[in-house]
Amino acid sequence: MHPFYLAIDPFLIRFYRITGYAAVDVVIGTIVLAFLALTIGELTAAVALRFLRGRTEKYSESASKYQDLAMDALKAGNKEAYTAANRLANDDFGHAFFQQIALSASSLWPVFFALAWMQYRFLAIEFPIPGTRLSIGFIGFFIIIYIIAFFLFKRIKKGLSLLTGLKQSGAPDQLRAGAFGDSRCRRLGSPVE
Amino acid sequence: MILGLILIVAVAAGLLASEPCLAGKLEEAIAKTPTGTGPGQINPEAPKGFMGIPGGPNPFWFWGVLWGVWVGWIFSTVGAFGGIMAGVGHITVFGLADYGKSFKTTSPTLNKLLTDSIRTSNQYLVGLSALISSVTYYRMGRLVLPLGLALALGGIAGAYLIPWLTAGKIELSSYVGYFGLIVLIIGCFLFYDTTPKGQAKKKEAKAAAKAFEESVKTRGTSAADSGVKVTSFSFTKVTFTFFGVEFSFNPLWPFVGGFVIAAISAFIGVGGGFLYVPFLTSVTNLPMYIVAGTSALAVFVSMITSIFTFMFVKGTPIDFFFIGAELVGIFAGSILGPYTSKYIPEIWLKRLFVLLAVYVGVGYATKGFMGHSIFPGM
Repeated sequence: MHPFYLAIDPFLIRFYRITGYAAVDVVIGTIVLAFLALTIGELTAAVALRFLRGRTEKYSESASKYQDLAMDALKAGNKEAYTAANRLANDDFGHAFFQQIALSASSLWPVFFALAWMQYRFLAIEFPIPGTRLSIGFIGFFIIIYIIAFFLFKRIKKGLSLLTGLKQSGAPDQLRAGAFGDSRCRRLGSPVE
Repeated sequence: MILGLILIVAVAAGLLASEPCLAGKLEEAIAKTPTGTGPGQINPEAPKGFMGIPGGPNPFWFWGVLWGVWVGWIFSTVGAFGGIMAGVGHITVFGLADYGKSFKTTSPTLNKLLTDSIRTSNQYLVGLSALISSVTYYRMGRLVLPLGLALALGGIAGAYLIPWLTAGKIELSSYVGYFGLIVLIIGCFLFYDTTPKGQAKKKEAKAAAKAFEESVKTRGTSAADSGVKVTSFSFTKVTFTFFGVEFSFNPLWPFVGGFVIAAISAFIGVGGGFLYVPFLTSVTNLPMYIVAGTSALAVFVSMITSIFTFMFVKGTPIDFFFIGAELVGIFAGSILGPYTSKYIPEIWLKRLFVLLAVYVGVGYATKGFMGHSIFPGM
């Protein structure tokens, strides 16, 4: 076991030994691990956004501006202007897309450290899927728990902000929700049809 | 309901593609490999390294952070080339390809398993991060469902068929060769952007857009003609309106495009998501917003397929600690990028990456197909 995990293993495994019932303990322990990964990811994502908000918004707003211009050109029947504006919107979208990929790393990296620890402990364990003959490994089990924890985490954050009356800065959520400016294409109608 | 159907198909493809006996395959391959300490041999007493193989490479985690900084810096400055560099790290910098190549004659099965593992490591690093981005753009973008459906189904077919057809069958040297060819193709596109012709096209586009912006006033748009409305659908033509303007496309093209792009991504381990937007724009000439939201759906679906495949991997060690270290580096590099870009113009960065693309592409292609690289260090 890597020295880092030798140090934190006694702390993490404690959550897998709470009730003494293996099936219950593995769920509790993995939920705790998932929440730890989420919390640390949220903090580092906030740091990343603190440094990169301006740049992300710049590309997003530029893409929105050229997108709106492209639609105006299309309605005016000006194909040359539409193609030009659409191309510029795509260029800025490309920049924003890769910026987002890089920023995503800031919230996802704890997941891999969590999986690395689980690999030491649960590599050979199979988690049966009830009602089927299938089973999943520790990776699949953690992914399912992480997804559930992610949605719970969002609700808890929302509840806490309502409770404290504090306006959410929306920092890490802004990473996920994106910042595509005030494009008419966004304001009109629902986002997805 | 249709979105749910797409997800069910993606999950089913993942389940079918899962290989619960991967650990068994690895153990069997190790058992059949000659024991010893020379190249192409395994010393059972050696500490476990990559993939849990005794004596396998065990790169120091901090080199992963440093390489991740380089990858993240590229993502936040130029963009696409970052994924390529992630692959270069796994193949060359951390010695995984040379290690795998040593088993070409002594243990071909192990050689091919190592190829698959390198592909998977590339996908973990770049692909999972793209998942968050795709959810972002799906929520903010406009979606043309028939277009997204065609793209996603092509993507699922490519993402499922290629691993099924090639898993365990591709030699490391062939993989490195094809990786080099893809890098050269991407380098050609980057090179075009830096040529006077490529630069002139962008200047013309800016001038045309500015001229139009100054010549018209933005009019309000009635609610009646906003949003995406599919007006007709058939297997050869789909017609829809967006902002009251009519567009049409043949669903065959996005299906084929989705298949090819997903196949390249599944085979090489990089690319995919970022190729959908320029593909859709050049083939269909659709507005960016529609292309962004629709292609994000396709990326999302292919990610779900891949994730479900990973979920059924059991008993095969993967170096998650190292991948986590690389992601920390990507996080740091992505913060560094905007600060350095104030001092280094984008066009010079692109020229640098063109040189790198030629070096890596020619180096890998010659190494893979000729047995040795004509450039040192590959």
